[in-house]
Amino acid sequence: MESSSSPKVEPDADDDVSEEVFEHFDDFTIASSWERFISKIEAICRLWMADGPNNLLEKGAIPLENSKNSYKIKSELQYDVKSYWMEYYFETKTGKSFDWNSTFHDLQLCFGVKEFLLIAPQSASGVVLDAPEASKLLSAVAIALSNSSSLWPAFVPVHDPSRKAYIGIQNTGTAFTRRFEADRIGSQVPPSLMHLEGLYQLFVSKFAYCTDDLDKHLIKVQFAMKLTYRTLPYDDDNIKDIDVQNTKSGKNLAGESSNERLWDDDCSWSEWYSSEDPVKGFELIAIWSEKTIESSMEMEEVENASPHEAEKWFISPSFSPYLLEYSNGNQFGFASALHLLVDAFEMSFEAQFLEDFVSAESPGPDNLKSSMVIPPPTVRDRVLKELFDEGVQLIDSAYDEHKTPQAIKGAPLETLFAQFCLHSLWVGNCHIRAIAALWIEFVQEVRWCWEESQLLPRMPVNGSIDLSTCLINQKLHMLAVCIKKKREWNEDHRECMGSEDQIDYMTEEESAVGDDTSSMQAQNEDFSGKFTGEPRSFPTSRDLHYSDTAFTVSQDPVKDDLLNGEKSSDQTRRGSAGVIDSMMLLKSYQRMHAPYTQEAPLMTEDMYEERLQALEASNGSFNYFAQLERDILTSDMAAFKAANPDAIFEDFIRWHSPADWLEDPEVEKSKDNWPPRGHLSKRMSESDNLWRELWDRAHALAASEQKPLFDPNREGEKVIHYLETLRPHQLLAQMVCTAFLAAADTVNKTSYGELKQMETKMQQLYLTMAPALKPLEANRLSADSETIEDLKRQCVVFGHVENLLTVAASLHRKLVQAPRLAVEIFIDFYNFYIPRMGTGLEEDYSNKKEFDTKQIVWNNEREVVSSMFVPPTANQSWRKVFSMGNLLNGHEPMVREIIFSLHDGVSNNHYAAPNASVSEQEIDTYRMYICGTSNDLRVSLSVVSCD
Amino acid sequence: MDSSSSQEFDYLFKLLMIGDSGVGKSSLLLCFTSDTFDDLAPTIGVDFKVKYVMMDGKKLKLAIWDTAGQERFRTLTSSYYRGAQGIIMVYDVTRRETFTNLSEVWAKEIELYSTNQDCIKMLVGNKVDKESDRVVTKKEGIDFAREYGCLFIECSAKTRVNVQQCFEELVLKILDTPSLLAEGSKGIKKNIFKDKPPQSDAATSGCC
Repeated sequence: MESSSSPKVEPDADDDVSEEVFEHFDDFTIASSWERFISKIEAICRLWMADGPNNLLEKGAIPLENSKNSYKIKSELQYDVKSYWMEYYFETKTGKSFDWNSTFHDLQLCFGVKEFLLIAPQSASGVVLDAPEASKLLSAVAIALSNSSSLWPAFVPVHDPSRKAYIGIQNTGTAFTRRFEADRIGSQVPPSLMHLEGLYQLFVSKFAYCTDDLDKHLIKVQFAMKLTYRTLPYDDDNIKDIDVQNTKSGKNLAGESSNERLWDDDCSWSEWYSSEDPVKGFELIAIWSEKTIESSMEMEEVENASPHEAEKWFISPSFSPYLLEYSNGNQFGFASALHLLVDAFEMSFEAQFLEDFVSAESPGPDNLKSSMVIPPPTVRDRVLKELFDEGVQLIDSAYDEHKTPQAIKGAPLETLFAQFCLHSLWVGNCHIRAIAALWIEFVQEVRWCWEESQLLPRMPVNGSIDLSTCLINQKLHMLAVCIKKKREWNEDHRECMGSEDQIDYMTEEESAVGDDTSSMQAQNEDFSGKFTGEPRSFPTSRDLHYSDTAFTVSQDPVKDDLLNGEKSSDQTRRGSAGVIDSMMLLKSYQRMHAPYTQEAPLMTEDMYEERLQALEASNGSFNYFAQLERDILTSDMAAFKAANPDAIFEDFIRWHSPADWLEDPEVEKSKDNWPPRGHLSKRMSESDNLWRELWDRAHALAASEQKPLFDPNREGEKVIHYLETLRPHQLLAQMVCTAFLAAADTVNKTSYGELKQMETKMQQLYLTMAPALKPLEANRLSADSETIEDLKRQCVVFGHVENLLTVAASLHRKLVQAPRLAVEIFIDFYNFYIPRMGTGLEEDYSNKKEFDTKQIVWNNEREVVSSMFVPPTANQSWRKVFSMGNLLNGHEPMVREIIFSLHDGVSNNHYAAPNASVSEQEIDTYRMYICGTSNDLRVSLSVVSCD
Repeated sequence: MDSSSSQEFDYLFKLLMIGDSGVGKSSLLLCFTSDTFDDLAPTIGVDFKVKYVMMDGKKLKLAIWDTAGQERFRTLTSSYYRGAQGIIMVYDVTRRETFTNLSEVWAKEIELYSTNQDCIKMLVGNKVDKESDRVVTKKEGIDFAREYGCLFIECSAKTRVNVQQCFEELVLKILDTPSLLAEGSKGIKKNIFKDKPPQSDAATSGCC
């Protein structure tokens, strides 16, 4: 027994005192520096092992960039004069077995390991250049790991960094040790190693013990392969090439003949700018897994196989770097232009009048010569021509659709002012001077339309003014209506064009028209049609739907009256829109006629506010504010009297305020329903009733004879005056709101398939825009820094949304046949991008992590994906010498990764340790990872041996 | 004349009363503001009353706009919806059509013209003193209020039953809604176009 003892475990203490001391003390005084180095490594390893992954996290392990749940922890080591880093890479979640996609470090793929140690010198190159040093280092680690009975593999980088060479060792817990070696050929790969067959031979040649009987034994080599293909980048040259080729070969699938076609031609923003395609291309990864190869012949077959035979396909887009480069978001989109507009808004407070920004005499506070930023007349002409293109008329329904509930005071996208704002964004760098110059000419053009009675383009000519839009838009709407009324008047009275006084003229004309019933009737209908825009009788047809006591208007009043044989009142009846069925006058046996009434005057927001203020100032005293309403009521009464010469007050109330006429229910109705029985409500019948007062004072006058409630000449002039005297900051404030809204509406029109995230993001954009733009509506408008800051932040947000939208649109266009993939890839990008959506300030996400999420391609989507690999043109393919197989539509893989492995039942092996539990399993005795192309090859080998 | 008193309140709320002609909007308002009942003449266009109240320890100025029910005035009254923090929809429990018109006419008007998404709506069934003539049941009112997300109360301007409560409840609800409270605290809105340009005193350069 004694003789067999090794010196280190010498139990006999009595013989040797020094041994005794060694047992109880860590006496380093006699240990070599190498031994101390080993024990230090050992100490660190024991510590890390004892801690376990979760405690290491608390101790400051650094998360790895490329993967979730993976970390590394570092420790420094000294050996002689050199210092080293020892790093331990680990995962908190132990995943499945090997998977191409689940690695977080390329060493894992190279050597088929999970957690590992890496020891590297703290030098510039980070590798051990000296071969003896490297093996010494590795031995030290091996001993330390063995002492601490750790099964971690350990690696040391060697040679030149570019070779990515490593050596490594792993204690397997049995008699075996696994050794690792990796190296790379950066150029001039031997032709034999370009092909799978040659690589197979290389692997097989490593089985030292059986190379001789290679042909006799059937060696079952496990084989897995991953091929990465890349589409041609979607840049202009390639697209053109492809187009040319397609056109020539006559199989132009897209049906496009123009070579100048840009990817975003059909996107809504392309009217204003063209965006760089955010999706540069796609990478396709085709994976063959676990194939058993028995001869090199089979390898040849594999090399000829189409990627379509691969078991799995993954797709990964490569995005343009611009998406993440600019902290202000999209470089050339609306966001940047809006940013300039906000700058212009800030400057707009510096002058009193817009003319000040244009005139050459006052250089302005920015000391820029106006000629530098004001676009030349040709540009301004072009813009104005486009804006005032007569062909463009707004459809009323389209106008109404744009009523948005977002509480942003802008203008509907297609309207004149919204288009003006969008044009301004791209003229003269959106400088205040350029805007001012453009606006002045814009107003001149509007005035010309007014003077010449030309309809305003892009504006509705009827309907009520939408007070939720910005004031300029309301004013332009008002003007459009005024111009239309003026035109109608002009057309109607062409011979009297000289007369300026419309009112006088009308009254004369109407009263001069004789007593001839039929001509009067025609005249009235004719006139009313022109005067109010439509032959509108009050109540309108719309109102008829809901009222129980609704009137129906007979279409043929003349005939009705003739039947009733009442010519007498017809001779004085004027302005009737027709009889009201089932309504008879109280005091004469006649049908009640509904009169044409004047339309209520149009008002813009400022006019309403004036009224409200006057009303509030009067503190509810009734006299001033209801004047307009009283005028309308009086006008209605006069019209009613004219249409029903024999009517009394009660008749008017029955028509105008039916609730105030109470029918007597008990009276049985006569055949003709005449006379109607009933009485006025109490409130209507009181003696001091204002309604009755007004009735008594009203003279019978048809609506066409009355003084108009709305004077288009006056209101039109007021609008022109408003536009011409608008303050710069008032203009710019409304432009900012309108431009934001119009820009958002524009990009929102782009189709991008069904992407909930994008929809939500768009809605969020509107929601965040509203409060940022709110201060611009405030009455005391000022360019306080907070407002400006908010607006600029909003520009950044806009840019991010724009980026996301271009990505969504681009993916949608490229993967329109595989919508599921488009959605999944977008969601990946969205999740990648959202944390980076800063507000323009530097944030923690400055580390530029690449987007590398892959999506599995379903079998039914393979055709679509494969069709994206357009066969390269002759021009492109001559550049490359094909040396690899597995072509996909003429594209050879960018990278080919192969894993060979040889499984061995260790228990059958004569090397096996009898009782080790691991011995029951099959282990990879040989494993080789090969990664590369025809001129770059990297080989990593791991071999199990028993030395 | 109002400007001196404009700071004598903490919040200004704008309330709007709508509903068919003759349901008693003006009477309700009169009952609330002066605690009297009168069979008022029909409103022409719009009427307006101010009432100061203390609630939750806050001084409130209520500007209550009373609109005419006649459809002729409807295009005009549409502008009064703007900026209202509370809208009172009134119907007459003895006239069914005034109730059905709420859903067919007035609720749509609110949707069209109200600029305030958080604005509090209240449904008021008036004239409950005429119990024998009642044709709209309380349950129908409750169902309507639930469907449209309104407060609901039945009251009588004539007997003053529930009139004060009606307005109080509405105002309390507005006080509970932060966005409305924020609007109310801004004070009286000034018209932007009557504003003098901010630099008017300093600007002399503009003269030519």
